[in-house]
Amino acid sequence: MGQERFMPTHVKTQEERGTPETTVSPALPARTVVGWQGIRCVLPPEWSVTGFSLDRENGYLKVDSPGAGTMTVQIRWLNAAAQNRNMPSLYSVLAPKVRKLLRRPEPQKELPKPDLRANLEKILKDTARQSKKARASFESSVKPEKTEGEHGERTAINFSWHGAGRGQGKIWHCAVCNRVVIAQVVGAAKDQSAMAGIASQLFASLHDHSEDGYDLWALYDLQISIPEDFRLETQKLLSGYLHLAFLRGGEKIVVDRWGLANMALKKFSVDEWFANNALFGLKRFRREERTTEQGHPVARYAGRVPMMGRVRALRDWRGSPRRFPTRYEGGVWQCPESNKIYAVQTLHSARTEGLWSEVVSRCVCH
Amino acid sequence: MRLPLKLRLYYGVGKYLPFLKIRPPQVDRQAALTLRPGRNALLTWEKRETGETLLTVPQNPKAGRITRQMAKWLRAPTERHVELDEVGGFVWELCDGAHTIESIVQKTGKQYKMSRREAEVSVTMFLQMLHERNFIGFYKKVGKKS
Repeated sequence: MGQERFMPTHVKTQEERGTPETTVSPALPARTVVGWQGIRCVLPPEWSVTGFSLDRENGYLKVDSPGAGTMTVQIRWLNAAAQNRNMPSLYSVLAPKVRKLLRRPEPQKELPKPDLRANLEKILKDTARQSKKARASFESSVKPEKTEGEHGERTAINFSWHGAGRGQGKIWHCAVCNRVVIAQVVGAAKDQSAMAGIASQLFASLHDHSEDGYDLWALYDLQISIPEDFRLETQKLLSGYLHLAFLRGGEKIVVDRWGLANMALKKFSVDEWFANNALFGLKRFRREERTTEQGHPVARYAGRVPMMGRVRALRDWRGSPRRFPTRYEGGVWQCPESNKIYAVQTLHSARTEGLWSEVVSRCVCH
Repeated sequence: MRLPLKLRLYYGVGKYLPFLKIRPPQVDRQAALTLRPGRNALLTWEKRETGETLLTVPQNPKAGRITRQMAKWLRAPTERHVELDEVGGFVWELCDGAHTIESIVQKTGKQYKMSRREAEVSVTMFLQMLHERNFIGFYKKVGKKS
């Protein structure tokens, strides 16, 4: 229910929305913005994502310091509701469906608060075991529980440890998204002074849910916001090529980013490049010129999804018939400042007209 | 980095018989980034106007008299050519034994506007490939081959 509240069935157009969101405004060059599965944070420049999970319910993210640095930021999250979930009974499966049929409201259930201390003790126990293996003494300090957040939605515990290395972290439960998040900066003993600065920057900037209904996906210079009810379906993160595909029912958003644009465009024009990589042949679509928020000319193609595309969409389609994709919108642009080519394609229903424009306006290319 | 056959067999035994505790030495990232790649002196190269770099690799430079005679009779090519693209050529030029892998990564990232991670992955993979073909070697310090 909590998620339903943010589901934008009608996506606002640029005119309705007014100025672009400040949360995804162009990043300052002196920082790295990381966003994955609803988790977002700001770190010093040139830190890069080296590990991630595809699961939104229960996952992790690892960000490493640049070059020969030894510091790492580790973020783990798990859905507190999933933690407390028991085997579904016939009643628990059928009751919501019957209530929906009879148009009765869902009863307000008070979810039990997860035991943060127990979770933290488990983490510290694992770390102590690793230190023992490295034959180093282990000590940890756990601060008392406190309430944080603008509306007091977070219950948090700070902790630190030193053994085979050093770590400074925080575990909290967010009442809005019902996630338990564990974030820590880990490094060698020599990193103690730098670690405090990184940890304070991380904890100040770390968010576990979106405020505007859009999740930020940011890694390796790519920054794009996608409606939060879209789920990551496939990804390809190669050196020089990033591909993210999101799915909501049958609706789809595909984001591609190619590096070394100056070399790629030696033999092709931007349009030819896009034609080779688009979801459908572009001949049948209407072409028009637009401009991105950063002032780059975009070649936009739009039209009805061809029959073969609809058959494919039918295969992927889950959920409401209102979400069945019948329209295609795709666009490509070159960003000379970052030497990259960006392509955003959407397959959407008639109800979510303007989805492509929304996503493109929230893409920060430089 | 590809190991010699003898070592590969040795560590292969350790992999299938773990109780022998034969493991390859772990090379940490920090140490690897301080290595200095240097070009094989037997190779010649030229930069083309289009931006590509053409490497000329002599075939069997250490071959014996009989092998050379056989190659002559069979008209086997005495050299082969490898073409590197613009980025490859840029990295190749920096493999002079003076630049560390770390500095090559930084320069490539800056030149082609790649993120640190992307540049590091691309450059290290490319250097590994060049090393497997014996086009380059790695120096631990200036002038001392590892």
